[in-house]
Amino acid sequence: MGANGPSKAIGTGYLSQDVTKVPGWHGLVAWDLLFNNLSTGLFLFAAVGELAAPGLLGPVARAAYPVAFVFLLTDLLLLVSDLGDPLRFHHMLRVFKPSSPMSLGTWSLTLYSLPLTLIVAVEAAQWLNLLPHGSMVVERVRKLAVVVCVVPAFGSVAYKGVLFSTCSQPGWKDARWLGGFMANSALALGSAQLLALAVLTREARAAAALQTIVAVLVVLNLIPTGFVFLEIRETLARIYSDQQIYSALVFVVVTGTLAPVFLLLAGGGEPSRIGPVSVGDLCNFVAVALVVAGGLAVRSLFLKIPHASHEKGLLGSKT
Amino acid sequence: MGTRELELAGLHQTSDPPVGLLGDIVNRLTWPFRYGHVEPQPSTGFYTDTTVCIGCKSCEVACKQWNQLAADGLEWTGNSYDNTVELSAMSWRHVKFIEQFAGNGRPTVDDASAPAATSRELTFDDLLNGGGSGRCASDSARAGHELTLDQLLNGGGAGRWLMMSDVCKHCVSAPCQHACPTGAIIYNEFANVYIQRDICNGCSYCVASCPFGVITRSDFDGHSHKCTLCYDRQKDGLVPACAKACPTHSIQFGPIEELRDRARKRVAELHASGVTGAYLYGDGPTETYSALHSFYLLVDHPSVYGLPESPFNPWLHMLRDYGRTFASALLTVAVIVALLWLQEV
Repeated sequence: MGANGPSKAIGTGYLSQDVTKVPGWHGLVAWDLLFNNLSTGLFLFAAVGELAAPGLLGPVARAAYPVAFVFLLTDLLLLVSDLGDPLRFHHMLRVFKPSSPMSLGTWSLTLYSLPLTLIVAVEAAQWLNLLPHGSMVVERVRKLAVVVCVVPAFGSVAYKGVLFSTCSQPGWKDARWLGGFMANSALALGSAQLLALAVLTREARAAAALQTIVAVLVVLNLIPTGFVFLEIRETLARIYSDQQIYSALVFVVVTGTLAPVFLLLAGGGEPSRIGPVSVGDLCNFVAVALVVAGGLAVRSLFLKIPHASHEKGLLGSKT
Repeated sequence: MGTRELELAGLHQTSDPPVGLLGDIVNRLTWPFRYGHVEPQPSTGFYTDTTVCIGCKSCEVACKQWNQLAADGLEWTGNSYDNTVELSAMSWRHVKFIEQFAGNGRPTVDDASAPAATSRELTFDDLLNGGGSGRCASDSARAGHELTLDQLLNGGGAGRWLMMSDVCKHCVSAPCQHACPTGAIIYNEFANVYIQRDICNGCSYCVASCPFGVITRSDFDGHSHKCTLCYDRQKDGLVPACAKACPTHSIQFGPIEELRDRARKRVAELHASGVTGAYLYGDGPTETYSALHSFYLLVDHPSVYGLPESPFNPWLHMLRDYGRTFASALLTVAVIVALLWLQEV
């Protein structure tokens, strides 16, 4: 590193090392990011769909809420498991601190979980014939819960990106558009899940509409992804080789965007069948799986940045 | 009595009269209100003069002894003779050794305007051959050369050791405190950043937020730990253990304004003695970061000591980041509604 050119150095001290400490956020957090976005994205998309186009998406939306609920429970389980002291998870609710995205997120998730539970409980009670089908009062309560749930769901989807971008970790701290990416990606994931549900519930008209929407949202998601990439590219260039960066980029874009869009456009409405499943449905399912896999891949890669940077720094200090 | 013992003493003891579940819950809920108001005291902190640090690590030992912290184990890092490596959940003080001897191992930084050392660097061959082109300080002295204080600090022209006792910076506006979602991290009455270990649940957000890499989550109890600035000792009117143990007064403790005055005088003294590169790090706020209640007198770039060149409080971005997030989400929802409307039509 000195002016004499590289040769027998004893050490570079602390200069090449990252100053910050890497938090122990590993695989669990990548899954947490995914399940948070799967739940909130699915709920938000279903709610917007039910409220804006009840004739088209109403029936599929009703099937979506229990799925969003299960994903929320999974996410909460992951969040608690990742704590250093899981039995103290409720300490998060001791205070409300808007200055802490994690506090805001905890309260958002809590407030999101309550009306969502009510919605799922109402649907379950109707399914078990404990509540009358078609009752105006029940329907109004359910719809009110959907409307009330939208705001905390919005908060739950928004806090994740800001949580990471307001860190001091290399890469994360530069990602100003991470929150935008997460919000956009969550809604794209939500639309993809709703497409899968539409296919499963044989809502052909909804499925046809959702194919176009998924394709548009997935392509739109390239914009915030590109912004985030531009913001963190200097850190990436410091850690990884050009070949590694472009391989990851190509993988994410091809797996999470191009391949699903191709499948949705090529397979949409294809009536021929492979066994019990039509080719169109199979294309839809594979497209949805790829969108989810792409979402997981990009989140995992992003989470690894401080870890990789730290390792690189340690190696650098010993050269 | 250590901090841990003080905290434990506040909890219900087995020798106390039995309390039922309801009584326990009521006690827990009302305790913060019954605790009473704590009168703010003058802000205290550390001033660390790295020019007089001899790397004896007595501060580390004193800290471990007073706070009853177990050893982390010793490890050779491969870049210095330091074998306690870094601050951790069990090491709240760490003396950094910066060994500026190797020709090309010598750290360099881009910003030439900032203070930097000017020593001639000892090459690897010098070390192997015991001389050659690089004479050490004692050689120079034997040869009758008059060495200035600056030359001595710079190794007499033959490379040098820098030593710095690192600790939590007790930032006036601490990112870890902003981040903590449980309210475990507080400013105590001495304006020191303090982790209430009975509240921390180990979410690690403070670890991710600290720009100085101070806070660490313990693998043992899963909670975050760092220097308490010997809160328990301060409450009893005592000096923190590290400052008490420091044999060269490299670590000084006291009311922060008094320390700043003392530090500025020391810098002026060093400048007058020819150490023009001496400066204070963290004694005042910058555009991107608050002042530190543990500040340093340094003679080389901050990054050489493992400190950020210009620390940035990540919370300065928060509102705009939320703005981008909501704008992006609303725009996407608008696209979805438009597409649904088109599909329905």
